[in-house]
Amino acid sequence: MSVTPEELPLPGSFSPRRSCGEGSRFCNRRGVRWRINLGILPSSQSASVEDMRRVAADSRRSYASLRRRLLVDPHTMKDGNRSPDLAMDNPLSQNPESTWGRFFHHAEIEKMVDQDLSRLYPEDGSYFQTSACQGMLRRILLLWCLMHPECGYGQGMHELLAPLVFVLHADLDYLSNVRGIYKDYFHDEFDGLSYPDIELVSRYKIKKAKSWDLGDNGDLCQGNDSKITCLDDLDQDTRDLYLLNDAYGAEGELGVVISERFTEHDAYNMFDALMSGAHGVVAMSDFFSASPSFISGASIPPIIEASSALYHLLSIVDSSLHSHLVELGVEPQYFALRWLRVLFEREFSLNDLLTIWDELFSSSNDSCMENEEYRFRVLRAPRGAFISCMAVSMLLHVRSSLLATENATSCLQRLLNFPRNINVMKLIEKARSYQVLSLEANISSSTESCAKNRSSTPSRDGSASPKTPLRIVPDSYWEQKWRVLHEEETLQKSDFSKGRKIKDLLGKKLGLSRTESDPSPAKNTNRKQQPGYSVRRRLLDEFSQKYVSQGDPVHEILPGHGSPSNEDMSKCFIEELGDQNIMRISEEPCEQITAEEICVRTEISSVSSMATPPNGEVNDVFIESERSSLTSNSIIGENEDENHLVEDECKSEFNKLVPGEVDANSTAVKSESSEDAEVLGVPEVKERKSFSSKFQWVWKFGKGNSLEGGLEGGANALSQRSSTFGNGNVFRESLGGLTSDQNSSKDTAKIEVGDTKMIGTLKNLGQSMLENIQAIESVFQQERGQAGNVLGVKGQAKAIAALKELRKVSNLLSEM
Amino acid sequence: MVLVLALGDLHIPHRAPDLPAKFMSMLVPGKIQHILCTGNLCIKEIYDYLKGLCPDLHVTRGEYDEDVHYPETKTLTIGQFKLGLCHGHQVIPWGDLDSLAMLQRQLDVDILVTGHTHQFKAYKHEGGVVINPGSATGAFSSITYDVNPSFVLMDIDGLRVVVYVYELVDGEVKVDKIDFKKTAAPQPAP
Repeated sequence: MSVTPEELPLPGSFSPRRSCGEGSRFCNRRGVRWRINLGILPSSQSASVEDMRRVAADSRRSYASLRRRLLVDPHTMKDGNRSPDLAMDNPLSQNPESTWGRFFHHAEIEKMVDQDLSRLYPEDGSYFQTSACQGMLRRILLLWCLMHPECGYGQGMHELLAPLVFVLHADLDYLSNVRGIYKDYFHDEFDGLSYPDIELVSRYKIKKAKSWDLGDNGDLCQGNDSKITCLDDLDQDTRDLYLLNDAYGAEGELGVVISERFTEHDAYNMFDALMSGAHGVVAMSDFFSASPSFISGASIPPIIEASSALYHLLSIVDSSLHSHLVELGVEPQYFALRWLRVLFEREFSLNDLLTIWDELFSSSNDSCMENEEYRFRVLRAPRGAFISCMAVSMLLHVRSSLLATENATSCLQRLLNFPRNINVMKLIEKARSYQVLSLEANISSSTESCAKNRSSTPSRDGSASPKTPLRIVPDSYWEQKWRVLHEEETLQKSDFSKGRKIKDLLGKKLGLSRTESDPSPAKNTNRKQQPGYSVRRRLLDEFSQKYVSQGDPVHEILPGHGSPSNEDMSKCFIEELGDQNIMRISEEPCEQITAEEICVRTEISSVSSMATPPNGEVNDVFIESERSSLTSNSIIGENEDENHLVEDECKSEFNKLVPGEVDANSTAVKSESSEDAEVLGVPEVKERKSFSSKFQWVWKFGKGNSLEGGLEGGANALSQRSSTFGNGNVFRESLGGLTSDQNSSKDTAKIEVGDTKMIGTLKNLGQSMLENIQAIESVFQQERGQAGNVLGVKGQAKAIAALKELRKVSNLLSEM
Repeated sequence: MVLVLALGDLHIPHRAPDLPAKFMSMLVPGKIQHILCTGNLCIKEIYDYLKGLCPDLHVTRGEYDEDVHYPETKTLTIGQFKLGLCHGHQVIPWGDLDSLAMLQRQLDVDILVTGHTHQFKAYKHEGGVVINPGSATGAFSSITYDVNPSFVLMDIDGLRVVVYVYELVDGEVKVDKIDFKKTAAPQPAP
């Protein structure tokens, strides 16, 4: 769909173009305006006609010299020069410097160029297929490639050049029409001889000259009513146009701004400015290079970067379409390569394209972010932003059909065969509206990158804004759901305190629109708070119930303590429980002990969960305690082989139990000398217990070694314990701790058990409970000593583990 | 700007094993548009090699050629010039200018390319040009003493032909250039 120049409307009836804005000159003469925008002609409003002519002339001179220098014709080696060294200058010479070498080199480039040119608007009667135009295009492209050998010729450059040439040619036609209207008043014809001031108009003039002699002025006016007798009667633009283009201004004929003779020069300059960006941000030649641009320090080719800028914008503007495309695996460069490289020339008809390029070139190419960090190089300037926004608005135009596709191929088909019968102005309007947004979105804080940017921390970064009201396309039901789920995830992952921050932030940002559709964060937080308290309460009730039935002493003890903090209460609980259990265990056979051990352990763990500090990770604790109780239940269920069972269970439970023991040990033994470092050091390692250590602990339990001796030895060893405890040491120390604890704090009834095993196990259980309690205490003491109430992760983990152990132990004991 | 290569009398493999290395390095595909070979290649491998240099290859039959189906003479038109090709052993006396002129008139060509003498010659003769590219391999000839490998490259551009002669003298490639201009033939009135 080409428009031959002859079809251009006459000056009086040209179709309304977009308003120029800012009173830019020559609104309707695209060639001149584009040259101004691209930086070839002076762009200041006050540039006089002379200045413009001078600048035009200079640019043309440079091109002419370039052409003379580079275009090689081996035959024109005149004998005037030193006769060339034939050994070098023969056609078969391999020397690349030789004339022929260059000739062949040019011939190669021309071959590539011709391949493209032959396919440029190949319709019949197309201006672009005339040999004059083709020759001009070929020369321009060849010379540009020779001037930029690092870039070479890329397929599609001709499509950037063609509209530029067309626009210049259109201006020529317009000018000749204007002259045709006013020529009668301004051409220099004296004595019947015509002195054409410019050969441009000569053809018109010759025709007219004939009828001039007939003296029939009326026909020549062409309906021009106003009497124009001098230049000042013309309107500003036409007068400027005239002055720009007559032969008497600055630089004479070379300065004629709209000139047929220098179309090639002008086109070359425009093309060069477009490709090199004219010291601006967007240089089209970047898009043709496959190597990463070294200027910005990016590690990806600029075209890929620009494509990802496009997708980034799309994710801001319409994240559902963006995620749909990403899901399908449609990389932006599959279609954006063609769109961006030739600035949409393949997607639109020539007229539409010219409108788009009007807008594009009128956006400035200067970077508007000087010192700020930016994410996408191409988005630094309004022109680059407009390109990306145009692409985004095109994507939105075919949004519905894209969302309906199920595979990448059909998606790409849709995108690569963009519908032609569209209202370009609407697309441009949309693109303009996104332009500011894209410029803002380009600002990035120094550390953030696109990839990890779903975080909820406030940032100026645009990609956090799927939740912001800037979202332009309303979400469908599924999109909202996805967002809700996503927010839940983020909330769950983060710390509770952070979660509260998120919730507040969301609440602020989203305002009313979100509160109804997003109850989950609030629910989450509520849920988090409640279970903790409920667990605590429940456990307390359980314990109280159990011990009410069993006897008064415990029950009396319970309310007697009445300490405000939960942990103290639990501690007392567990002490009493331990006592109680130990007392009761004495009568039980060994086999049952194993099962009960486990129960105790699980009880300890649940008690531990009870004692979780208020602003700890209650959620996690709840889950953990549930888990542990579950495991304990399952374990109790399978009562096959005691020893094996004990081993298995100990395996799973050990890692929770021993650390608590170790903690308790350290606190118990070194109660006077609180070595916080060691205690703190322990929980880090506690998570991963080796199997052998567990086994050894179990083995000790089962065998019931003479614990006193071993324990005392262990107690001594404890003082020299290193922060990373060995397997063997652990339980020995723990046992030592147990004994010492027992000896020191417990004045329980002497257990008269026939079986040493039983004694050992009971003792150990009690001790472990105590130790866990003490571990918790120590943790809290330390944490309170430190700044803030918020427990560090380490402290929490320690406390949790210790409490778990306590729970287990108490469970076991209560079963007895 | 049409480049036409003219060569012949290689006598491979009987009298020479191969083209000189320096010639081979110069003859790369892609630069030359036509090849005129006077004959005496002699084997098909040479034919294939030349065909690889340029697909438009014209060969006439020399007396030692193993392919018996080459024509005796050939004419073709390149640009404004008519070229004729013949091996030359048919024209007696061998290498006699007048006899060759007779052949030229007979074929009605502007440029006649012949060989057989293994000696480079380029004459402008009675409105035509006779070119003998010599022997590209410098093969032995019974009628010539010192044979230097040589061949000819013609650059036809409009009405002007520039003849470049490449000769291997003492291991060095020497290039010479001769300009011929054709006078524009009068256009017959329709």
